Amino acid sequence: MDPKQLRELIEFVSSSNLATFELETDDVKLKLVKESAAAVAPAAPVYVVTPAPAPAPPVPAAAPPAAPADLVPAGPPVPAAGEAPPGPAETGFVDLRSPIVGTFYRSASPETPAFVEVGARVRKGQVLCIVEAMKLMNEIESEIDAEVVEIRVANGQPVEYGEVLFRLRPMSA
Amino acid sequence: MFRKILIANRGEIALRIIWACRELGIKTVAVYSTADTHSLHVRFADEDVCIGPPASRDSYLNVSAVISAAEITGAEAIHPGYGFLSENAHFAEVCRECGLTFIGPQPDVIRRMGDKAEAIRTMIEAGVPTIPGSDGVLSSEEHAREVADRIGWPVLIKAAAGGGGRGMRVVHDPADLGRAYDAARAESQAAFGTPEVYLEKYLLEPRHVEFQVLGDTHGNLLQLHERECSVQRRHQKLVEESPSTALDDRLRSRMAAAALKAAGAVDYVNAGTIEFLLDSRGDFYFIEMNTRIQVEHPVTEMVTGIDLIKEQIRIAAGEPISFTQDDVRTVGHAIECRINAEDPDTFAPSPGKIRSFHLPGGPGIRVDTACYAEATVPPYYDSMIAKVIAHGNTRGEAILRMRRALESFVVEGIKTNVKLQQRILTDEDFVRGRISTKFMERFQPAPRKVTAG
Repeated sequence: MDPKQLRELIEFVSSSNLATFELETDDVKLKLVKESAAAVAPAAPVYVVTPAPAPAPPVPAAAPPAAPADLVPAGPPVPAAGEAPPGPAETGFVDLRSPIVGTFYRSASPETPAFVEVGARVRKGQVLCIVEAMKLMNEIESEIDAEVVEIRVANGQPVEYGEVLFRLRPMSA
Repeated sequence: MFRKILIANRGEIALRIIWACRELGIKTVAVYSTADTHSLHVRFADEDVCIGPPASRDSYLNVSAVISAAEITGAEAIHPGYGFLSENAHFAEVCRECGLTFIGPQPDVIRRMGDKAEAIRTMIEAGVPTIPGSDGVLSSEEHAREVADRIGWPVLIKAAAGGGGRGMRVVHDPADLGRAYDAARAESQAAFGTPEVYLEKYLLEPRHVEFQVLGDTHGNLLQLHERECSVQRRHQKLVEESPSTALDDRLRSRMAAAALKAAGAVDYVNAGTIEFLLDSRGDFYFIEMNTRIQVEHPVTEMVTGIDLIKEQIRIAAGEPISFTQDDVRTVGHAIECRINAEDPDTFAPSPGKIRSFHLPGGPGIRVDTACYAEATVPPYYDSMIAKVIAHGNTRGEAILRMRRALESFVVEGIKTNVKLQQRILTDEDFVRGRISTKFMERFQPAPRKVTAG
């Protein structure tokens, strides 16, 4: 890792909501801790820091947790995952919503490992899960390069149209 | 009996089906588009599943989404209501393949009766009267004259590829046939790219009279009398009633026998409607069969006391119809007015937010609606927001009840056709029962007024 990359990484973490950041590759082991966060935050695992307005309970409701306006009748329709490239919300998170009604699976089969875990970095077009509808396995892909911040549905749970499946943090390519 | 039913519809009919399920002790699943998140059918169903964005083709018409919703909720049967997927044979087949019971007739019957030419052929074979005509394309003006002389004047020349009144000519006088034949062919060529036309008998001031039928899987087939639906505008019914003022007991039993013959020809199971045109001489002709529950079913429920939705569910569960033909007795007279979110003068749709909403009530009044104060009428779907049904011991009493019900029906925030309905209910010809499918033509200018007779 050259100094330029390191500087960029530090800048990225500084401007993010992350309190700590860890990276381990074959030749580098790196840990960045924000000073302010280190002073207050316990040493607990990090990924959910200053979350969006309360990580709403994963009840089957179509209303996006970050949009209180949807509680008002005639709120704006929930955008389908896939409509318009999802831009980062104010919180820096992007929700990946189910484009169809069906059953959520985290892996291709019961024997294989999950496609992704919390903390994973995913590329645009990478399969994050399967939603089964009428015996068809529909692979749901990430729309962006991102880090998986939260998985909102348990394996094998039914999901409805527009339900949030993953909370992602966009990463520059 | 089913433990859980999914309702593949929205609005008042979804709610109507939920009430029937509740009375039968069956759990309900509502499906909805993102435009209907705050709808009453979502609120009052035991479970709900969002199945797509507002456009019907992506939600209420999305076969895969509806079936998936049934699968993830463990529903055993699907009630399609009216419109949307209710007369979609493919959907009924998919239900069957997925082990779900479609609450309606067999898929092949939906397909057969949905194909107009095939339905007419079936009825001719069964001996049910159909509108006489050329049975195909006319080969020449001479051919047209031969057919017209055989079936009787006046006649209607229609574009074979047609629709919407283009390529259509009414001929009263045999001397005008040549000119009308040429004009219809030219118009058809211009509008549809083919000059092919056919000819049928033109009915003078026909009435739309339909018969409700119910069939079960045990071979029972019953008829529940007629509904008169002549008050319609551009084939959209506005007022329906039962009994019809045009039928005496003899004509009623002849038409009922024809309706049973029509339904029997396809071994009909579940609720269906046989539609006839009735002319001023008492001749009637099959026009089509509706293989679903209809909007105007409450009219029949009010005069017979039979709950058609519950009967549909029982039949789909394999039970026999819970009554016999002899048990079917009508009491009094029922009228239904459809209340639409539209301008009463221009008929333009008027979606939007309802600011204030007051429903009529009192003796003999039933209102089927899914609207409420602060509800939004979305622009994506049908404009009907409520059905007001008045029942009385006589037609006169039903009319008076309907009039005072409409007076106390308050909807603010959107425009409705309540005023138009009030004009219809005070029209002298309507009050005297002198109506035909031409009746609504008079409501372009200001109507006459008269007190109830």
